[in-house]
Amino acid sequence: MDAQIRDINLANPDEFEEWKNFLESLGIANFSGAEVDPLDGTIGLFEGDKLVGTGSYSENILKYIGVCHKDTSNGVYFNKVVSSLLTRLGQLGVFHVFVFTKPQYSKSFQHVGFSEIVQSENAAFLETGNYNIKDYLAEIPHLAGDDISAIVMNANPFTLGHRYLVEAAAKRSKHVYVFVVSTDKSLFNSKERLELVKEGTKDLENVEVVSGGDYLVSYATFPSYFLKSDKSKVVYQTTIDALVFKEWIAKNLNIKTRFLGTEPESKTTDVYNEVLRDVLPPEVKVEVIPRKENGSGDIISARTVRLAIKNDNISSIRNIVPTSTYDFIENHLGELQDRIKKGMKIDGN
Amino acid sequence: MAFKKDRLRRTMMFVPGNNAGMIKDAGIYGADSIMFDLEDSVSLAEKDSARNLVYEALTTVDYGDAELVVRTNGLDTDFFEADVKAMVKAGIDVIRIPKTENADMVKEMENLVVAAEKEFGIPVGTTHLMAAIESAEGVLNVPEIAKSSDRMIGVALSAEDYTTDMQTHRYPNGKELEFARNMIINAARAADIAAFDTVYTDVDNTQGLIDETEYIHELGYDGKSVINPRQIPVIDKVFEPSKEAIKNAQNVIAAIERAHQAGSGVIAMNGQMVDRPVVMRAERVMKLAQASGLVDKEGHYIGK
Amino acid sequence: MEIKKTAMDGTLESSDIQITVSKGTNGVNIDLTSDVKERFGDDIIATIKKVASDFQLDNVNIKAVDQGALDCVIKARAITAIQRALGNSEEPAWEAL
Repeated sequence: MDAQIRDINLANPDEFEEWKNFLESLGIANFSGAEVDPLDGTIGLFEGDKLVGTGSYSENILKYIGVCHKDTSNGVYFNKVVSSLLTRLGQLGVFHVFVFTKPQYSKSFQHVGFSEIVQSENAAFLETGNYNIKDYLAEIPHLAGDDISAIVMNANPFTLGHRYLVEAAAKRSKHVYVFVVSTDKSLFNSKERLELVKEGTKDLENVEVVSGGDYLVSYATFPSYFLKSDKSKVVYQTTIDALVFKEWIAKNLNIKTRFLGTEPESKTTDVYNEVLRDVLPPEVKVEVIPRKENGSGDIISARTVRLAIKNDNISSIRNIVPTSTYDFIENHLGELQDRIKKGMKIDGN
Repeated sequence: MAFKKDRLRRTMMFVPGNNAGMIKDAGIYGADSIMFDLEDSVSLAEKDSARNLVYEALTTVDYGDAELVVRTNGLDTDFFEADVKAMVKAGIDVIRIPKTENADMVKEMENLVVAAEKEFGIPVGTTHLMAAIESAEGVLNVPEIAKSSDRMIGVALSAEDYTTDMQTHRYPNGKELEFARNMIINAARAADIAAFDTVYTDVDNTQGLIDETEYIHELGYDGKSVINPRQIPVIDKVFEPSKEAIKNAQNVIAAIERAHQAGSGVIAMNGQMVDRPVVMRAERVMKLAQASGLVDKEGHYIGK
Repeated sequence: MEIKKTAMDGTLESSDIQITVSKGTNGVNIDLTSDVKERFGDDIIATIKKVASDFQLDNVNIKAVDQGALDCVIKARAITAIQRALGNSEEPAWEAL
């Protein structure tokens, strides 16, 4: 009898155990809440009652794919699991789908229509569907000249610190692209963040603000379950992110310099910047611009802004954000505070 | 596709309508009938997909001598009309009506089939029907269902839904199906159409399949529905005629020949008159013997 | 006709083909992945193109991931994917069947 696809309900302890044991037998070891909680759906491939394959998805990213090859010719179960996941996502209207996987599985995904975007020593990043990185790049205005630089920011929200960084880059190069990370795991959603960066830089004529689309790999979406240790997750994630930037974005848009801000209190940012310095040159030069301080010697941080929103004390941030950002916060204060009450985390970058 | 009213129907193999691999291979297992399913094996979101796939397969793939059957979605669904129209246009041999409860349902199906035949310029009467009996109501009405249309070629028991309707479930000894099986075979014979038994779901239990097939063979059934191609040779084996039965049938047929040559309407064998049921049984035995590869062209017995 | 939304049909299982149809701006573009692309790629693409032309699609992007599908399977999957993208898959497309 053919193996059958059924839903797995990970909230059920027995089903979770069975699923976990199966994946553990295939060498996957990380089932932390940070990895498992974001899963939107999980399916199992069953021979009778025996689990022989599984796969999950979280938004448009496939995760925790594992199949047992013991009783079938290679690929049959793998194809069935990936196929079912893509059909599910298609029914939800999601056709542009990504996967992060071990480099040795990249070929299996390519065999079912995925294209590899980049591959590092530890991970491969692939996509499939009705849109790809070339489409993304084609949508970005291409600027003329050789002296083009870029900044990547989450800008949650856009502060005078970000503005200082953009200004510095704008002075030092002919054109500056500002890429705004577009994952919706931040207090300010991606549309709001993009809009506030645009508003806050519209007087700078040589600055082009664009959405990072799905191609700025954020820590929030990068899965680490398939990696050996969780400790170095940020290194793996940043390496993939840096490779995408270098091999696709910078190459296609002729970006020669990447400007970085500093974050003295964030070890993550240190590691991130270190990886970028490691991966990007010589094709892309890396330049660090120290953080702007406010009058009293404190650095300006978006986190301060978010805390002020939470503490209902926004007048305190009037001098560290542009007017456009301040007005937005003032007009949407209730809504932003609601998001925090509903559990949106305001720590982190 | 080649429709023949009196043909062997030992096995009717279920093929999920949206499974490209199984649709491709359905012809290679030697099933007497192949039933493409648009109903229970196809999820709601894939009904359109399965219908188009089965349509394209029916109009291009060569399934040899197999009788081709489609199980459409039920008369109470949104898919039913499109299913019937597409299958009639594809030139299907038989449409299997799911969950048939009474003769009116057959009539309703027949009206739609006639309209579709006319719409697509297919000779009216080309498309045949069979009824799946899946409820207590259906079993009680099977005599009228079996005789409800000239297009009817058979009735089939579908035990999963039937046992649910009867507030029981399937047991290995099959006692829960006794009444339904007897009703169906009687209704089928009274209407001169075929009777198909339900599937045997435990595909790993060969002895169980043999026992159940022997039982329905004894009752007089034409054959069984099959969910796994591995079951086909097992069922065919049960339907194989014995060496003695073949020899006897050959003698009956020889007697018919003699009578023809003598220009006589009376067929006699061993001094006894051979009447119509005996002739029919002999013809059926020879058909089974040939299908089972037990006789060669000249009529020599070549079984073990 | 113009494709307005993306739609998909078929699977990645053996003997099948997964076809994704989406809005295009620059003619009929077909991106094919197949183990037998060298030998049968042109035939597969021709079959899909024929279906697209039966639906009078001038601009469409089609991604096809083939796993050794028969011609009739390719045709069926292309028809269903296109019908879904056009939002009219309830009634069979008699002109294309």
